[in-house]
Amino acid sequence: MARVVVDPVTRIEGHLRIELIVDEKSGKVVDAVSSGTMWRGIELILRGRDPRDAWAFAQRICGVCTSIHAHASVRAVEDALEIKIPKNANYIRNIMYGTLQVHDHVVHFYHLHALDWVSPIEALKADPVQTAVLQNQLLEKYGAVAELMPDPIGRRAYPRKFPKATPGYFRAFQEKIKKVVESGQLGIFAAHWWDHPDYKLLPPEVHLMAVAHYLNMLDVQREIFIPQVVFGGKNPHPHYIVGGMSCSISLNDMNAPVNTERLAVVEDAIYTQAEAVNLFYLVDLLAIGHIYVQKGQTYGGGLAKRRVIGYGEFPDEPYGGIKNGDYHRQVIYHCNGVVEDFAEGVERAKFYPLAGKDFADPEVIQEYVAHSWYKYPDEKKGLHPWDGITEPNYTGPKEGTKTHWKYLDEKGKYSWIKSPRWRGKPCEVGPLARYIVVYTGVKQGHIKPSWMDEMIVKQIDFVSKVLDLPPHVWLPTTVGRTAARGLEAQVGVAANLYFMKKLYDNIKAGDTSVANTEKWDPSTWPREAKGIGLTDAPRGALGHWVVIKDGKIANYQCVVPTTWNGGARDPMGGQGAFEECMKDTPLQVVNKPLEVLRGIHSFDPCLACSTHLYDAEGREIVEIRVQGSQPVCF
Amino acid sequence: METFWETFKRHGVNRRDFFKFATTITGLMGLSPSMIPEVVRALETKPRVPVIWIHGLECTCCSESFIRSATPLASDVVLSMISLEYDDTLSAAAGEDLERHRKEIIKKYWGNYILAVEGNPPLGEDGMYCIVNGEPFLKHLKESAEGAKAVIAWGSCASWGCVQAAKPNPTTAVPIHKVITGKPIIKVPGCPPIAEVMTGVIMHLVLFDSIPPLDSQGRPKQFYGNRIHDTCYRRAFFNAGQFVERFDDEGAKKGWCLYKVGCRGPTTYNSCGNIRWYNGLSYPIQAGHGCIGCSEDNFWDNGPFYHRLTTIPVPSVEANADKVGMAVAAAAAAGAVVHGVISKLRSKPNRGGE
Repeated sequence: MARVVVDPVTRIEGHLRIELIVDEKSGKVVDAVSSGTMWRGIELILRGRDPRDAWAFAQRICGVCTSIHAHASVRAVEDALEIKIPKNANYIRNIMYGTLQVHDHVVHFYHLHALDWVSPIEALKADPVQTAVLQNQLLEKYGAVAELMPDPIGRRAYPRKFPKATPGYFRAFQEKIKKVVESGQLGIFAAHWWDHPDYKLLPPEVHLMAVAHYLNMLDVQREIFIPQVVFGGKNPHPHYIVGGMSCSISLNDMNAPVNTERLAVVEDAIYTQAEAVNLFYLVDLLAIGHIYVQKGQTYGGGLAKRRVIGYGEFPDEPYGGIKNGDYHRQVIYHCNGVVEDFAEGVERAKFYPLAGKDFADPEVIQEYVAHSWYKYPDEKKGLHPWDGITEPNYTGPKEGTKTHWKYLDEKGKYSWIKSPRWRGKPCEVGPLARYIVVYTGVKQGHIKPSWMDEMIVKQIDFVSKVLDLPPHVWLPTTVGRTAARGLEAQVGVAANLYFMKKLYDNIKAGDTSVANTEKWDPSTWPREAKGIGLTDAPRGALGHWVVIKDGKIANYQCVVPTTWNGGARDPMGGQGAFEECMKDTPLQVVNKPLEVLRGIHSFDPCLACSTHLYDAEGREIVEIRVQGSQPVCF
Repeated sequence: METFWETFKRHGVNRRDFFKFATTITGLMGLSPSMIPEVVRALETKPRVPVIWIHGLECTCCSESFIRSATPLASDVVLSMISLEYDDTLSAAAGEDLERHRKEIIKKYWGNYILAVEGNPPLGEDGMYCIVNGEPFLKHLKESAEGAKAVIAWGSCASWGCVQAAKPNPTTAVPIHKVITGKPIIKVPGCPPIAEVMTGVIMHLVLFDSIPPLDSQGRPKQFYGNRIHDTCYRRAFFNAGQFVERFDDEGAKKGWCLYKVGCRGPTTYNSCGNIRWYNGLSYPIQAGHGCIGCSEDNFWDNGPFYHRLTTIPVPSVEANADKVGMAVAAAAAAGAVVHGVISKLRSKPNRGGE
């Protein structure tokens, strides 16, 4: 058994540390510890504030999945105060949310995840002519994936972002990489484990294609977010208001925030999203994923094989409350549920619906702190978020000093992340979780599928055919988690086109309202109210729980996706999805755990990481600092 | 190290396009056309500047904003203008290899690299509310700052403290100037700052090999010299006393002034009114929401966002950021009161709809 440390893990949001126990004989990780290493106290800062301001504070929880916490926050306050938003506001919020899905997934795949799969070094060996040939072959081979996306607007004459499968295009990028390497200033490519054997799995032409798209997409990604800039005024951190949106619509006033010209800007950006997803992202994803699966890389499923959870999204029309169940009657992304044992096959998996009152039930969703640096009166028990307590209680590491760690104490407290549980059990969240819930729900007949659910089933069946494997084999893996994210980006584009059409139709029918301000004045509020704000953020199920007293916030608790996935152990011994996913990972080079990095990155974590390795009893035998050799080709 | 012109040449950029680029950049930085030859000279002689970009308590919105830059594109900045040697968000490498690389860069370019700081250090619990490699971020910050030529405080977290420093500041988060001394610090506040303001600051450092001219609070004057109110496209409605009284009312549809629903444009220094966001596409006020003052010190605790400012500077008084500063809060309320009355009078006939 050996113990290894990687700190920090980059290409994520925030700060996270991971420790692993590896059996050196088999090269397999047998146990792991994941620790969130930052705490900002935003839940405490929200207390005593005006609930109408909460979205702005909560939004600053994350600037990468920007807007989603604002979205959850206004929903929580509206649920508490029983405010129904206008139709246009619902469509606009859905387009802002769909836009976030597309952007977050695209940037994750190319800029935070791609360099775990492809290498600029290998790209230098590629023939640009052959790369162009390959690109066209791949478009031919996987191109049908684009047809899975319905387009109710159907106005784009032809693709504009991808007339680029030419030798000249690839040669230019190869030249760029070569010059960066030759300059000796390696910048963002410096010091990585480019000599890891996994970088030999793909032919050089696939490396060049993907690295060129990595660079190209750095410029294209900014256009994806344009709908949020038009409706919310800026990005990151666009503006919302309790009761709807601030972007008034008028086809009659030349200074109106939204008019026909602004809608055209949004529509154009949505088509850019479609091209980025259908012609770059999904083709690259299928090409790389297919080869990895063919080479037998189906590890990393972890907790997804056993239990996943989702909350549901995309209300088709405005709803009259979340805790009373109306939200879940309106959603068209029916990922609200829990699925157990999907790895045993979709027929044998267990499906538990989740809606409305479940989120107000003190027994259903709770957070534990037994292994987190917080204090509860009784740490054997979990607390429902309405009764949640956030009281810091840092206890230091197992070995080392308070401010200079050697190893964390997995038997004591070891993380700034709490442990959320569904009926006391850990669950994985995220696109993979949502796909498992919808697929199981539809196949077992628990949910009446919307067009969106049907699209998801078609996508999963399409990829299963490409890979020639059933969904329960390929989905709960590192590759499957990455693939679900890409497929969901396509759902995001389809949703944007769908709700854009609804927005046009509603304006055409004469309704231009975007905000309901009947209850804007705090004197109209009850003395005490409780609300729940649900959404399914790019990284997974997200809930905000608010308690309002005398017009001020009395308690505010957020249970965020990375809390579900990256949280510490619970008092019953249950581990979160990060720890579980690392546990079944085989390592080819113990001191360069690229497979672990790739597995952790497949969650798109919202913090920063590091890794150690121990034996099963926590007894250290060999210490291996994670430090690669000098990059071979630089 | 090669110069910008050499880099451009290698990429097949001809002399004519090179001059076009220099002209665009000169305009972007708010410099007069007479400065173009100087910009060209700088581009011809400067190598790529090494940059170390570290993250404390923050939400990464500054990095996200940065990659949205259109002029110049973030890809050009990262691959052709600077050499981004360490960045939590974009670096391929992880763990100790990356940490060792950071230390090597500090040593190799001692006194010549730029440190960019996103976020801030907490002082509570000996700094252990933000930990990098098992040690407080504070240590990481001080170590990286020591050999830096200059330090950029990205965003309101590094510049002022921002959301985690709002009351009751549970982690005792502080702006970086409280812990870094003896180094020039360029504050680029905003939550996040505008992308082109961020790349504009880097371009200035690279092109002119100097700190951009700063105001008394350490902000580049070329980007923070005016209040949003001064260049707001709705300013004419303020002057005319035409106000939005409630979100989505007739005034909101007409794009009237948002002052009465809580706009902080009159007390906020930033480029939102002129540069705007997304290469001029929009800004919060254009989308019908008041400015929340996100580039101002302590803005989270300046009262609820939807309460109108009780005091604002009298319109049309000539003043600059150096002089106004704290005086803003003390400025006369008379103008606001008068405008409020006019607005009420005018709002009547308009309610009937036009």
